[in-house]
Amino acid sequence: MDGNRARALLPWAWSGLLIAILAFLVVYPTAMLLIGALTTTNPVVEGYKLSDLSIGNFIDVAMNPNVASALLNSLIACGGGTIVAVAIGLSFAWVVVRTNTPCKALIASAGMLPLFVPPLVAGVAWAILGSPKTGLLNLILAKAGLSIRVDMYSMPGMIFVFGIYYAPYVYMFTAAALRNMDPSLEEAAEISGASATRTMATVTFPLIMPAILSGMLLSFIVMLGIYGIPAVLGSPANINVLTTYIFALTAWSPPKYNTAAAVAVILMIVTGFLVYAQQRIVGSRSYTTVAGKAFRPRSLNLGPWRFMTLGLAIVYLLIVVVLPTLALIVAAFRKFMFIRDIPSIFEMKQYGWQHFTKMLDNPLTVTSIINSMKVGILTAIVGGILAFAIGYTITRTKAPARRTIDVITTIPVAIPGLVIGVAYLWAWIGLPGGIYGTLWILALAFVARFIPDTVKALSTSLLQIHRELEEAAWICGRGTVMTISSIVLPLARPGVVAAMTLLFILSIRELGSSLFLYSSGTMVMAVQLLGYYEGGNIGITAAFSLVQMVLLGVLITFTNWLSTGASTSVARSG
Amino acid sequence: MSSELRVEHLEKVFSPGARPAVDDVSFTVEAGEIVVLLGPSGCGKTTTLRCVAGLEHPTSGRIVIGGNVYTDPAAGVLMPPRARNLGMVFQSYAVWPHMTVRQNVAYPLKARGASRADIAKGVEEALALVELSSYADRPVTQLSGGQMQRVALARSMVYQPQILLLDEPLSNLDAQLRLRLRDDLRRIIKRVGLTALYVTHDQTEAVVLGDRIGVMRDGKMLQLASPLELYNNPADLFVAGFTGATNQMAGIAVSREDGFGTIAIGGDQLLARLGANVTPNTAVKVALRPDNVVMAPPLPGPNQFPAKVLSRHYQGTQTVYELALLGTTVEAMEVGSAARHAEGDQVTVALPPDVLWAYTDG
Repeated sequence: MDGNRARALLPWAWSGLLIAILAFLVVYPTAMLLIGALTTTNPVVEGYKLSDLSIGNFIDVAMNPNVASALLNSLIACGGGTIVAVAIGLSFAWVVVRTNTPCKALIASAGMLPLFVPPLVAGVAWAILGSPKTGLLNLILAKAGLSIRVDMYSMPGMIFVFGIYYAPYVYMFTAAALRNMDPSLEEAAEISGASATRTMATVTFPLIMPAILSGMLLSFIVMLGIYGIPAVLGSPANINVLTTYIFALTAWSPPKYNTAAAVAVILMIVTGFLVYAQQRIVGSRSYTTVAGKAFRPRSLNLGPWRFMTLGLAIVYLLIVVVLPTLALIVAAFRKFMFIRDIPSIFEMKQYGWQHFTKMLDNPLTVTSIINSMKVGILTAIVGGILAFAIGYTITRTKAPARRTIDVITTIPVAIPGLVIGVAYLWAWIGLPGGIYGTLWILALAFVARFIPDTVKALSTSLLQIHRELEEAAWICGRGTVMTISSIVLPLARPGVVAAMTLLFILSIRELGSSLFLYSSGTMVMAVQLLGYYEGGNIGITAAFSLVQMVLLGVLITFTNWLSTGASTSVARSG
Repeated sequence: MSSELRVEHLEKVFSPGARPAVDDVSFTVEAGEIVVLLGPSGCGKTTTLRCVAGLEHPTSGRIVIGGNVYTDPAAGVLMPPRARNLGMVFQSYAVWPHMTVRQNVAYPLKARGASRADIAKGVEEALALVELSSYADRPVTQLSGGQMQRVALARSMVYQPQILLLDEPLSNLDAQLRLRLRDDLRRIIKRVGLTALYVTHDQTEAVVLGDRIGVMRDGKMLQLASPLELYNNPADLFVAGFTGATNQMAGIAVSREDGFGTIAIGGDQLLARLGANVTPNTAVKVALRPDNVVMAPPLPGPNQFPAKVLSRHYQGTQTVYELALLGTTVEAMEVGSAARHAEGDQVTVALPPDVLWAYTDG
């Protein structure tokens, strides 16, 4: 009798445990962030007080002209970036899916490369290329006797870099929609007497509109939460966006933690609204209907024009992949950035390893690499186990409150990394003897930040294991735990390993949340790179950027080899 | 309004060096006639249809509609689909999911710049024809498969095309709906008096719908004839087999006169129709439909042989027997809910010479 009651309580205990962990990781920091936004108490000095809790504090901050200008700059930069991204992504999708342009497959995969470059590295590369005085492009333009100059330290510069790096988001969505569209929908229009342009305007476009909107919103959301690009390109021109403004507030002396929390809440509200809109679009108006049928997409014969589309694609790849990589390589290996004339770019005696040596002489470099690895491993293990437990509970059991667990798990989708950083700062900075200042706070923040994507990836691989395989083990007399360890885990292993590797990659490149959570002893690579950049040493910055890119490249190739498709999730997290 | 369609020596090669998907196909569809192209998948029937539509460009040959040449690669003539004034119904319905029923049907009229009043009237008539008038303002995504296909039909006929093309329009529907829509389709097409080219792999559909049926295989047109002719006088072994003559007995032609001949199978001789190129002393295959085997004939006659019932498969309204006959195994079918013979029975079997066809083997 008692044994039966205990057995009946077990599922509740399990659900309770998961909810408690999620509350600790997600709900508690978010709540503390809200409290911070609604009070004026400094948590470091006075601890947490609820006595002056008032919406007035939040409104005061929201009405501040600096906040308004940062919000406006964010909207302009991300809005402009999104327009550029749509223009590039959509044409890229059309060229790859619907034309007979040569080398399409190669173009398509190379076009995804920008997604793997950390935003900070992209920003650094374009600063090297396009800083108004010393930028490589400007040097070349000057030597070529042209009077035009590029200035990347500007709003257009930010929009351009945002646009070219986040075009793949739009491409991914629209290419899939174009590929999955039943070609007879367009053929029916042509048979009906519609011209090619009329068919495009009345059938093709309306049908892929949900995909375009979805890709647009997603790229906008990701840009909104990016710190690296506006920090590198906007700050020199005194252009603050929400993310850089939030960080500036915490770097103030004394730090304005309450204001930072309030601005972070504004950023979270905007993001949350956009995520909601995006989910609605993805959920409701999907026209790619006919299930399980493979279509051969209609391929337009461009004739000789196909070499022009090939040319345009190559230009895009040059701008997005080749040029920035070359800039980093030149800056990292060149002894002095002074370039007398164009042939001197190719003088080998100008090049050497001195920046790398100097970089390694700084003990912080090595410390930050080691710390990043440690945090990565912690995140992968903790996040992997938690995500498996949640994924299994949601997809495979009838445990109570599954829905609640699912909902809490998806909350972080709407919270930009930087906001998670501020929330964790608020949650732990006022608690003496807590995890603030340790590597754990970074790891836990990363687990919270990436839990939605990880659970989703794991759930997909769990759903592929037929339920009857588990039931067969139960029939054979195995208990739940033994069934999981002897049947589910071995079968889901590729998925689990891929998810954990992915967590590792995502956490070693994460900048936004690290900014608020590192301390002198827990420096990580992404923050150290920013430090080098802000210290003004371009050579070391470029060298360290290359080190990180090579490291990430190796890891991503490894993950791809483990499971195809995991790589796109790297992208989705920004 | 409806026009004659002439396809002349049509050939389509998808990739150089590959076997042609359509191989020298010629046929004519009279004005107001329904011709069904029938064949297994990959036989070139859909490619032929799409060449007529202008959606596929043939390698050579001509397509003439109502006396005008629409496709003639040799002369550089290739009218785009929109200029052909044809109607087409697709296998996947291809109704536009972002439009209502009315918007779907109005689309071709709008593309032709018809007046608002003409559009309203045309849509009304077309929807009445397919019995969907009360659904006009629904989004098409709320319709069932059968209703979507009716929308597609209304859309393809609303502008009174010269020819209606139908590409397996019923294959995505469930069995019962397919039967109903099949009968409706013929009735509607005939009422409007349209010339129609219809593609399917389903022989019963072809028989019910078509005035004439063209059987295709490997890109070639094997026989184009009325359903009656096709079922009772198939041109070759493949057509016979494809239309249900699943029994095939190997033998040797002995003599030939007036289209009939004597075939030797083992020690026995039987009388059968002979294929055009069958000459005495050649190896032949004799094809026979299971439902044409007469078990225990009431009167003596030609082609009667003793047989033994090997097995009986009772199917409710019909019974299929496996018989040991002429040294081989032959399937026979009797209609009716009574199963007259039992396993192991010895019965006399008659093979009516009129429905027994012999073709050269290979």
